[in-house]
Amino acid sequence: MKPIYLLPLLLLVACQKPAPTPPPSSAAPAATAPETSAAAAVADANLSVVRINATLQNWNVAQPWEKNPPRRRRSLGALVGEREVITTAEMVADATFVELESTDGTRRTRAEVANVDYEANLALLELPEGDEAKTFFQNMKVLEIAPTPPLRETLEIIQVEDNGQSLVTAGQLLSADVRATFLPGQLFLTYRVKASMQSSASSFTVPVFNEGKLAGILSSYDSKDQISDVIATPLIARFLMESKKETYQGFPNLGVNINPTEDIHFRSYLKIPESEGGIYISKVRKGSAADTAKLQPGDVILAIDGNPIDRRGYYKDPIYGALPWVQLVRGNKSAGDAVTLSLWREGKAMEVPVTLTRQEESTRLVPNYQFGVAPNFLIKGGMIFQELTRPLLEAYGEDWESRAPLNFLDAMSNPEAYQERHDRMICLTGVIPTQATVGYEGLRNLMISRVNGKPVRDMKELIAAFGALPLSAKAHSIEFLDESLVIYLDEKMSDLIDENLLQRGLHQLSRSE
Amino acid sequence: MKSLYLCLALTGISWAQTATTPPPAPATAPAGVPTTAEIYRSVVRIEVATQVPNYSAPWNAGRFSGGIGTGFLIGPNKFLTNAHVVSNGERFLITIYGSPEKHQAKVDFIAHDCDLAILSVEDFSPFEKLPVFSIGQAVPELESQVRVIGYPIGGERLSVTRGVVSRIDFQPYSHSRADSHLIVQIDAAINPGNSGGPVLQDNKVVGVAFQGLTEADNTGYIIPTPVVNRFLKDVEDGRYDEYTDLGVTEFPLINPAMRQALKLPNNGLGVLVTNVTPTSSCDGQIKPGDVLTGIDDHPIDANGSILIEGEKVNMHEIVERKFAGDTVKLRVLRGGEAMEIPVTLKTLPQSRMYAIRYEEKPRYVVFAGLVFQPLDTNLFATASFRDVTVRRLYSEYVSKGLFQEFEDIVILTDFLADDLNSSLPPYKGKVVKAINGTAVKSLDQAEQLLYPQSPPENFVIELMGVDRPLVLPASQIKAANDRVRKNYNIPRLSNLKAR
Repeated sequence: MKPIYLLPLLLLVACQKPAPTPPPSSAAPAATAPETSAAAAVADANLSVVRINATLQNWNVAQPWEKNPPRRRRSLGALVGEREVITTAEMVADATFVELESTDGTRRTRAEVANVDYEANLALLELPEGDEAKTFFQNMKVLEIAPTPPLRETLEIIQVEDNGQSLVTAGQLLSADVRATFLPGQLFLTYRVKASMQSSASSFTVPVFNEGKLAGILSSYDSKDQISDVIATPLIARFLMESKKETYQGFPNLGVNINPTEDIHFRSYLKIPESEGGIYISKVRKGSAADTAKLQPGDVILAIDGNPIDRRGYYKDPIYGALPWVQLVRGNKSAGDAVTLSLWREGKAMEVPVTLTRQEESTRLVPNYQFGVAPNFLIKGGMIFQELTRPLLEAYGEDWESRAPLNFLDAMSNPEAYQERHDRMICLTGVIPTQATVGYEGLRNLMISRVNGKPVRDMKELIAAFGALPLSAKAHSIEFLDESLVIYLDEKMSDLIDENLLQRGLHQLSRSE
Repeated sequence: MKSLYLCLALTGISWAQTATTPPPAPATAPAGVPTTAEIYRSVVRIEVATQVPNYSAPWNAGRFSGGIGTGFLIGPNKFLTNAHVVSNGERFLITIYGSPEKHQAKVDFIAHDCDLAILSVEDFSPFEKLPVFSIGQAVPELESQVRVIGYPIGGERLSVTRGVVSRIDFQPYSHSRADSHLIVQIDAAINPGNSGGPVLQDNKVVGVAFQGLTEADNTGYIIPTPVVNRFLKDVEDGRYDEYTDLGVTEFPLINPAMRQALKLPNNGLGVLVTNVTPTSSCDGQIKPGDVLTGIDDHPIDANGSILIEGEKVNMHEIVERKFAGDTVKLRVLRGGEAMEIPVTLKTLPQSRMYAIRYEEKPRYVVFAGLVFQPLDTNLFATASFRDVTVRRLYSEYVSKGLFQEFEDIVILTDFLADDLNSSLPPYKGKVVKAINGTAVKSLDQAEQLLYPQSPPENFVIELMGVDRPLVLPASQIKAANDRVRKNYNIPRLSNLKAR
């Protein structure tokens, strides 16, 4: 849903070209243009936005020792601190190089990613303190965050044309809901704004203003319906506030799966009073805030902090009306904050205080995303071992949910069955045909239980297990989960092969970070 | 892979009456050896009217359809054809080449696992004078020429094509989707309608034409004589018993490090047993970790192949040619010790889980608009299940012996919208774990739990992979059933018998 996504590369060339030749003498018609309110907005916008050029390079899932070809993205970021620019996390996910460029194209400087939240899809870029930053942000104006805009408010979508002129498109805030703007399932407050935009340079994501203040970041635009998704003002405000803390903790989670209670038979079975709404807790994630507060599957949440939750899971937000309950936890709270849940448990109402926490994605058996981190792997004698992650599953194609191996999908959907023995599922994903792997060429899509007799919890343990071959043994033994098959890999031969693979151009044979 | 194969019965109704010319006067020939013209008369056209059950609306009668295939006379009132020509058939008509008369027939034996069937006619007298095909013993040689006779698409009359034997292999038989046997590939065009026709060499049958490839031209597959003869022998006792199976999964022992670790000599022999299906022929006799080095008197190589009549074939070919009750001698290395283990072969009916079923009425239970069906390949092919639990139970049903616990894997397949169930979350395609606290192990049991003598206050249905139960008040079930029956035109709320 990003039709303007392809343009930046083309336009980069276009705007670089004129740079060597000095502009014609009458280079400042903009300055002499009649001063209208639109022009004022244009001038203002230009003072607080910069172009962001990012080079992104993710890892090759099939061959985890190498990276995919780099891609470039351009967007507009908004100045929210003396040296800080905000943009989306998607813009800098797996970035190898991020550069800020002034809208007129005269100044460029390398930026650091100061903070990134892939779940909320927000990132803060920063220039190091010093003259460089001073020069770059010279004459620029730090943006204030707008007050939370009500529905039907007119917002201004800011773009910058190649020549450095701002392009302001007014759009109406149609609705607010929790939506995923980047990673599936990560729901945060998002606006739908109706505006007829034109394609322009640096448009991967652009800032959205409200009366000269930052009101959101546009993350995608549907040119057919002329609807754009805009990351909401309160989310940006909270992200910036959290970023100022010593350690960024991100947006908290309750750690439950819930079901609506519209079903009248189910309600009477649970004996929920007709006057109440409520959502049914069907699962409590181990180690989560809900688990610590001893919430149980079967509990029904009637209200959060006194906000009644209806049968479908909505509460009444004072500004945006009906919003899903997650907003009361993820949107309005920080990690460490307490919420009070009004529960219905076994036919009785009760109040339970819960201290919200955030569980790192990396604590999952099968993480849903991995950015900025190289995937762990091991190659031994030609056998390729990897940790199971959602990106690995997604490599099976668009319909990976039906095409990926069943045992992998099972580990993803029923982690409880594996977590006792594994922190990560180690998978044999393929076999490079070598002398050591003769007869094993067809092996793939298997999960490892033991190597050299040692159980393996993660990649580190796998690598250690291969290093700990008993003295008496001449071959490594590899055991698989759910299969009574043990295969053997000649030690000397596989060492030779490993060396040979390094000579054949593999930079490294293992990674566990 | 499987989708490449195409069964060759000519489907679609073709009721057009054929304007036939009178048959040519039979040429006289020396006694015993029939002439080509006479042989043609023994290749018959089989017209079948079928009724194919509908697994997405199992209470319906199904689809009325039909098709044309070929058959040939192999004995007194015995016509051999393919199982897929007559599957789900309700009426069978046999026509002699060049005759307008249609003779009523019936199926005497049908073997879905090897795609063969035997038909007989009500009145054999018009056929009595016809020559009878004799069936050879050997597999036709590579590069030898064969003739295929049948009634394929493209005309009403008999058609003959010639081809060369281009491959002999162990390959899937597409009719059941679950079986592989010896197969002979020829380069003659075999087309829909050819199915069940004889493949001849020197006027002797060397195979039965049965399937082709959709993605390649001039590739036809025939069922060779070992498979045909096995079928004919199997039915001699008046019923068909199906193929037997060892019930073991093997892993090739090619890797030198692996052979060394298992202390095997470097002689290129032996495969490792990695799984033994519970209750199968080998259960209790062979264990995972055993190395199979021989079957009867044939050494098994590291790839699991043996040598029969100068051809390398899969070791299971030995079992292929045997019958239930026969013994096979397995030579086994277990913990370094060589031993010979006689295994009595038996069929494993549960392994038909993966075969398409024919001549069966779908089983189901409807309860307040909720449809419950047992998992089988017919259902699996109709409803594309995404649920990981359903797919996992399906794929492990035989190898892990789940059938010992679950006679059926009962699936909640559909919600027929009704006042009572409209507010239920539509968890379609999930496995039923328990009803009112009792674990569900078969459809019959599910039906008893859903329609008990004295109903509880609520029916509580738990599904696998769903963390909340479905609850329905017992007092309103009857009224809901009455509405569902009427609105969805369901004459019976359950069918528990497949035949």
